[in-house]
Amino acid sequence: MEPTPLLALVRNGDELAWEAFVRRFQGRVFGLAYHYTAQAEDAQDLAQEVFIRIYQNLALVPDEDGCLPWILRITRNACIDHLRRRKARPPLWDLSADELFDLRSPEQGPEEAHLEVVRRTMVHRALQELTDLNREIILLKEIQGLGLEEIAAILEVPVGTVKSRSSRARLELAQKLAAAGMGG
Amino acid sequence: MDERSLDPEALTQAILARTSGAPCRRARALACDFVDGGLDGAQADLLRGHLAHCAACSALVRALAESGRLLPTLAEADPGPWFTQRVLRSTSRRSAGHGPDVRAAWRKLLHRPRIALETAYLGAVAGMMGLYAPVPWHSLVPPAQVWTVPLQASAQRAAGAVVRVEQYTAASLRRTFLPLREASPAGLWQRAVAKVRGWLKRLEAALKPANP
Repeated sequence: MEPTPLLALVRNGDELAWEAFVRRFQGRVFGLAYHYTAQAEDAQDLAQEVFIRIYQNLALVPDEDGCLPWILRITRNACIDHLRRRKARPPLWDLSADELFDLRSPEQGPEEAHLEVVRRTMVHRALQELTDLNREIILLKEIQGLGLEEIAAILEVPVGTVKSRSSRARLELAQKLAAAGMGG
Repeated sequence: MDERSLDPEALTQAILARTSGAPCRRARALACDFVDGGLDGAQADLLRGHLAHCAACSALVRALAESGRLLPTLAEADPGPWFTQRVLRSTSRRSAGHGPDVRAAWRKLLHRPRIALETAYLGAVAGMMGLYAPVPWHSLVPPAQVWTVPLQASAQRAAGAVVRVEQYTAASLRRTFLPLREASPAGLWQRAVAKVRGWLKRLEAALKPANP
């Protein structure tokens, strides 16, 4: 079901529609929160908080194409607030490979799946080494697939900056991955 | 002819080093478009030619392609089997579309960055008030009077202070404005001129160097 009819049902108080809505977007919300916080427990709490905010502000949720960017924007804001509160305690970026099994992966054999997890861990670690703006651009553009205008609106920077930073951020990430042995 | 000059790659590098320099910078500038398939045929062929001989750029392009494949797969993550139930439980207790509930507002208040400072301030104010308040269990005065007697005394002191401030303000106003009301415009002008002259005289005296 498209977001718009689903949203209309949710706004009418249909609990089944709300459940479908949560199931539809929870992976995206949790995924983004997880990349920001690097801690599954924090990401879960944040994702829950985001859905509560959505539920309390259903009238503000845009229809159709604007729905996902809006949800990702409030997820990002919740994550930034959380990280500000946590500033006194620096985040632990070191992740165990087991934690990354949470990231959804296609059906694979055990060996391939293990290699995939190793590669994802490398990407995840390399992402944490990028500058804040570059990391956010990669998260929103390459991972979440948002458009340049949407990213510019979320990050409150000009579209040109997102455009020029995008290639630089990808190259920076690739350099870190190449230095770590990927592609060698 | 020495052995090194027979290696065509070494020769290319030597020529590039003495002319345009290594083309890696240009290759890296085109790498994203190359991986995305956005380069035209001729440019892509030139880049392929460079990649065939440059291990560093080649590794970078491979890493770029690999990250391009992996990054979109990181968009979603499974929050666990109970997540949906947790969200539904949390939202079923709230009404949709309404403002945040009291508990959420309280949690938000506690998470404010200055909450510690504000709490300390309120604590200090309460402490100061406590210093002047009588201690009920050390007093033989009946509990009702324990609070009313000092409050009455404080109120009387405050009222006295207010009366004194009022009297002082009224006297100051009288001193300032009564002569102005009674004086004529010419008298006021003379008084102002005399005042300015006095200031100028004092200024002149201050600026005059002291006699040896």
